[in-house]
Formats: sequence, C-alpha cells, structure tokens
Amino acid sequence: MYGWTGRCLRVNLSENKHWVEEIDPKLLDKFLGGRGLGVKVYSDEVDPQTDPLGPENKLIFVSGPMVGTGAVTGASCNVVTKSALSGTIACAKMRGHFGAELKFAGFDMIIIEGRAESPVILSILDDKVRVRPALEYWGRTTSETEEVFKKNLDDEWAARETYLVSIGPAGEKLVPLANIVNDGFLSVGGAGIGAVMGSKNLKAIAVKGSHSLLVADSDRFVRVVTTLINKLNSAPFTSRSMTVWGPAFLVDVCFQKGILPYRNFQVAAFSGSKDIQIETLSNVFALRSSGCFACPIGCIKKTDMKNPLFKGIGVAPTYLPIGALGLNCGIRDLTAIGMANIICAEMGLDSVAAGGTVATGMELVERGIADRDTLKLELRFGHEEDLLQALTLMATKKGHAERIGKGGQALAQEYGQPKRFMGVKGIPMAPFDPRCIQGMGLHFAVSNCGPHHLYAYTFIEEVLNVHEQFDPWDTEGKPELVKRCQDMAAVIDCLGLCNWPLMGLKFNNFVPMINSCLSTDYRVDDLLRIGERIWNQERLFNIRAGFDHTHDTLPERFLREPIQDGPAQGQISKVDEMLPRYYDLRGWSDRGEPLPETLKALELTTPFSLNPKSKIQNPKS
Amino acid sequence: MPRIKIDHDKCTGCRHCEIACSLNHVTGIANPRRARIRVFREGSVFFPVIAGPFVDAACTSKLDIKVGDRLYDMCLLCRASCPQKSFFIEAETGFPLKCDFCGIPPNPSCVRWCNSGALELLDD
Repeated sequence: MYGWTGRCLRVNLSENKHWVEEIDPKLLDKFLGGRGLGVKVYSDEVDPQTDPLGPENKLIFVSGPMVGTGAVTGASCNVVTKSALSGTIACAKMRGHFGAELKFAGFDMIIIEGRAESPVILSILDDKVRVRPALEYWGRTTSETEEVFKKNLDDEWAARETYLVSIGPAGEKLVPLANIVNDGFLSVGGAGIGAVMGSKNLKAIAVKGSHSLLVADSDRFVRVVTTLINKLNSAPFTSRSMTVWGPAFLVDVCFQKGILPYRNFQVAAFSGSKDIQIETLSNVFALRSSGCFACPIGCIKKTDMKNPLFKGIGVAPTYLPIGALGLNCGIRDLTAIGMANIICAEMGLDSVAAGGTVATGMELVERGIADRDTLKLELRFGHEEDLLQALTLMATKKGHAERIGKGGQALAQEYGQPKRFMGVKGIPMAPFDPRCIQGMGLHFAVSNCGPHHLYAYTFIEEVLNVHEQFDPWDTEGKPELVKRCQDMAAVIDCLGLCNWPLMGLKFNNFVPMINSCLSTDYRVDDLLRIGERIWNQERLFNIRAGFDHTHDTLPERFLREPIQDGPAQGQISKVDEMLPRYYDLRGWSDRGEPLPETLKALELTTPFSLNPKSKIQNPKS
Repeated sequence: MPRIKIDHDKCTGCRHCEIACSLNHVTGIANPRRARIRVFREGSVFFPVIAGPFVDAACTSKLDIKVGDRLYDMCLLCRASCPQKSFFIEAETGFPLKCDFCGIPPNPSCVRWCNSGALELLDD
C-alpha cells in the first residue's frame, strides 16, 4: 500500500486495552483517508445523539495518505469527534509535525474510546504502545507537559524526535471552548475537542516512530514536487506575503476592504489601524519563520526575545488571534494580543471561540444587559486587562468565570439576548465580516463544522482574486463557488495537505503529485466527488444530531443591520437569497436534507432514520 | 570543491530535506531515519546537520558553541555519528550513512527541495 500505512490503533481507555486493526482498502478508496476516513468511521460507530463528554463518545486522530511522504505541505492530522461546544461533528486540523510522526510510527489512525479512571498519557514510542499514568502532568500547561514528558524519557536524542499533542487546564476542566495543542499551536477549528479529550482523562498523546512510507512512482513524484516548490516560489502570495508575515498579512488586506470586524462585529472601520499593521507586528515581535512538516512556505512566525514578556516562547499572533482576541474585543495593542494568544495556547483554549465569547460578554456589558456584579468579572471593550483575566479564569474555572466559560451562545441566551452572539451553530465566527464577503457568509451559514473560513477557502477568489475574479459584494456565482471550495477543502483535508498553497497553485496542480504518490489515477472531478461525499456524510451526522435548515443562517446582525461605515458601507448579507440555489446544487431538499437520489449517486447509505426523535440544541456542558 | 552551506537563521525546520534525501537514496521510501541530513530543534532555532564520517568512539572533549548570543551543546551540531549520538546509522543494516552530494546536478536533492534558503550549494 502506497502512502497509507493501512493500520489503525484502537485504544479503549475504560478497559486499558489497545489493539491494531487493518483499515478496509474499500473505505480508503471511497473516503481517501484523513478527514474523510475519520468522519466515515466516526459516524458509523458513534450515535449522533451521544453526549460529547460521555464515555461513549470517541476521539479519532487520523493522518491523510500524503502526510509524511514529502508531498508539498503534507503535514496535517485531522481530529474527528462530536464537539462539546456545538454538538455538531468537529473536524479539526492539527498542523506541525505530529501527523507525519504518527505515520512514521506506522499508523494512519488512532481511535480513542471510553474513559480512563485517572489521568493518563498515551505513548506510542517505537512500536511500544503504553497507557501511562499522568497524575504529575495534570494541571500543567501544554508547553510544560511537553517539556516534562521529554525530560522523563531520559534520552535526550529520543526526546528530540518525540512529538506530543496535549490539552491544557481548560481541557481538563471540561471547558467547552477548549482546544488541543501540538508543537505550540492550537489546532484549526478545534473548539470543543479539548474538552472531549479531557473527559476521557487523556492528557496527551506522544508519538515517535521509524517506519518507512512507500511512494509509488518515486522519480515522477520527486519531479512533480520540485515543480510545485518552484511554482510556489514564484507566486506572489506564497513566496512573499506568507513567507515574510504569515497569515497576519491578511489583516491589512481585510482592513482595506472593510472585512475586519471590530467590537463584536458592530463597527467595521476604526482609527489607529497602523497599530495592527504588519510593520508594527515586526516591531513588536522578532519574527522567525517556522514551518510544518514538508512545508516550503513556512508561515508560522515564532516570537523571539525582542519582547521581554515572551521570553522567546510561543507563536506570534496570526490573523485569527489578531481579529478574534484583539480587534473583536476592541483591543489594538499587539503586545496584549500576543499575550492573550500565548495564554490560549498554554491553557488550551481555542482563540477564536474564546475571543468570540469574551466579545459577546463585552457587548452585553456595554449595552447594560449584564454587568460586573452578575458576571463577577469586569468586561469592557478595549481593556486588555479584562481580556487577559477573563481568559485565565475561563480556562481554570476559578472565580466565577464558569458562566462565561460555557461559550458565547450559552452566555447570550442566559441574558435572553441570543442575537448578541456572533456565531453559527454555537461556534463563534472567524473574524471576517460576512456582510461584505458574500460567499464566505454563505459558507459560514451552512458549514458542518462551524463558521471557520478554512473549510471553504473562498477568500482567495473573492478578495485576493488569485485564480478567478469575483466581486465580494455580489452573490452572482457564489453558491457554485462555495460548493466547489467546500469540496476542495474536504479533499485537501483528506489528503493531509494545507490550504495555503492554493494561494499560489491551482487545485489540479496537486493531481499528478497525488497520483504518482498513491499509484492511483484520480482526475479533478473524481477528487471533488469524494469531497462532496464527505460533505454529505458530515451533513447526515449533523441532521441526526438534531441540526436542520433552521441552523443554516447567520446572526441577525448580518441579515438586518447594514455596515455603518468603512469601505463596505451599506452592505448586508444576502445569505437567504443564495441558500435555495446552494441546496439545489448540493442535491438537498429545501429543508437542507440530502435527497435519496443524491445519496445513491454518492454511494452513501443511511443506517439510521433521518428524522431524529428528539432534538438536542444545546449539548450539556 | 562543492560544499553545502547551512544558514541556521533561515531554516524553518520543515524537514523537507530529510525526505528528499531518503527518497533519493532508497527508491520509493520516505523515512527521515534513513536520511543523511537531519534537522534538530533547540528552542526556536533549527539546526540542519549533514552526515559526516562515522567514528566508533565518543569524543572526550565536549565544547559549547556560541551562535548569536546563545550557547549550544556541540553534540547538536557535530556531523559525526558516534555511539553517543546514534543518528546516521541505518536501522536495519547498522551501516553508517554519509552524505554523497546526490541528486540531479548541480544541486543535491536536499538543496533542491529547501525553499527557505537555509541550504545552499557553494562551489569554491
């Protein structure tokens, strides 16, 4: 078998047992691996109505077939489970080196079941799988956990090759906003996964391995990868902007187009924009590039010792933390945003979800709906000390921060103001104002795994105009674009690649690389079909978990209140206009359910009835 | 005499060079443990190390090396494969590995795949 290892490690924590299973090659053919395989296995094995934090829930780590083979940006490992924050299926993407190391350890997939009695660490070191007690790690931050674990290995050189994924105190305390952390960064779109891992009493997974991965047509593969590297090197975004600034360069782009939200999406324009420009970023942080496995772009910017506060640790804030933790909370000081970002990574809190929640709280306070006494917490727009304190309390559940730790939706509902929560399906929105980027607005509304832009990267066509010219304010052709981008993102996640190369490469540039590596003969259409199959599989899971077309919408603010200022003044989201066309393209009924013929054409089966007996709108947290 | 120049400041630690080396020396096999170049991380700095000669004893004189304003253990940067640092030894056969400037001329395979500019072929 080329690319894939074909093996899966199943760990039952309740019974303290683990065994290796073969993965059915037919499944790999239909779902490719990575996110697709994870979603298929998860929805076959877990009842969609299950409690995300119960022992019946499972947690799947799965690397795609291209991970570790040297394919350009083949690094990511997907995590599939039911999110504790939203109750939908969650497919987070872990970057860094963990995914590749998992493949070298000889596994495509780890399935975690049950719940350990006391805290444990799962270690897969050179074919020795062990579930070790982890009492001494409980309560430690993510970087401390990594450091202590490596020290305890007693072999400096082995420690250098060991990679960990862990949860921080937030995950241990089952805070629904918790995320998992590997190599110092939070997984992408992983809000609610940290709590699931914490509910299993699993503090961390450590991996090290020395197995080989097979590449089918080595000569051709090497030639294709060399060509792709050269192509990336000649495209403006991937060779300059991303390499020098990382995704933070989007802050400037978005500000100029009026997409950057400010104060919980209330305002689009603000003065003092130079505070958050990329030039300022390099003044505050000494930027040092770092890359995920096999990445020629190297977009991660490590901070260095230029700012004494950071002592050389952590990652400089990218677009998401600057937008979600900073501007959306009215904070423009990059040092404070960097600090908040590091707290999130150390505590294992999802930065987008935590930022969105704090911003919701700040708006409630600003409008006089909540106050300091009822929240037991000071929350004011633009006060960085409030943000930092809220994050720390939220993660440790100390003080009276439990109320805010439940997430923005629960907080807004508690005060009877659900419309003040800027998110979809319970997950706070990535910081892009959907009113002036219509395609992304539609994607946010319908996304299976919450409003995260990376599940359909329409941004590169709508705003950056890399391959095609689209008017961001227009709805023309957007449902088609969204569907194509969603399918494409699903395939890219399945293979274990990154979305950033799409800023310089077309999707069909990847096809020769995939075929020469895996000894397959996929065409672009075949791959997009697989993407569509995965999207429908996720949709089926969500429908059975109690979500329907009424959840495919945006917060009222985006539908009713036009943007008041800035370059996109007067724009409003036209998501309701685009939705019927989108359902039609997907082959779904007007209630957003996949039609039987659609499922038949995609070779999907529904083991359960489509109509759930009871609806779970807010999972227990 | 061509040689590979390493710029630690530019290395992003992506380890693409390791895979390039492995694919080029063993057809169809991607495995960093069979590569003749390895990247080690120390704090936020990455050190690519190219396999040098095999020595059968650990050295007795260990020094610290100053890079920028920090001190690093010399073992980290040492190119030799010794009993103390068992990299650059093929796991299955036990044979020591050494860099041989492989690949399509003019560039060795690791230099060709290094996009950060950390590895560069010099001819002097």
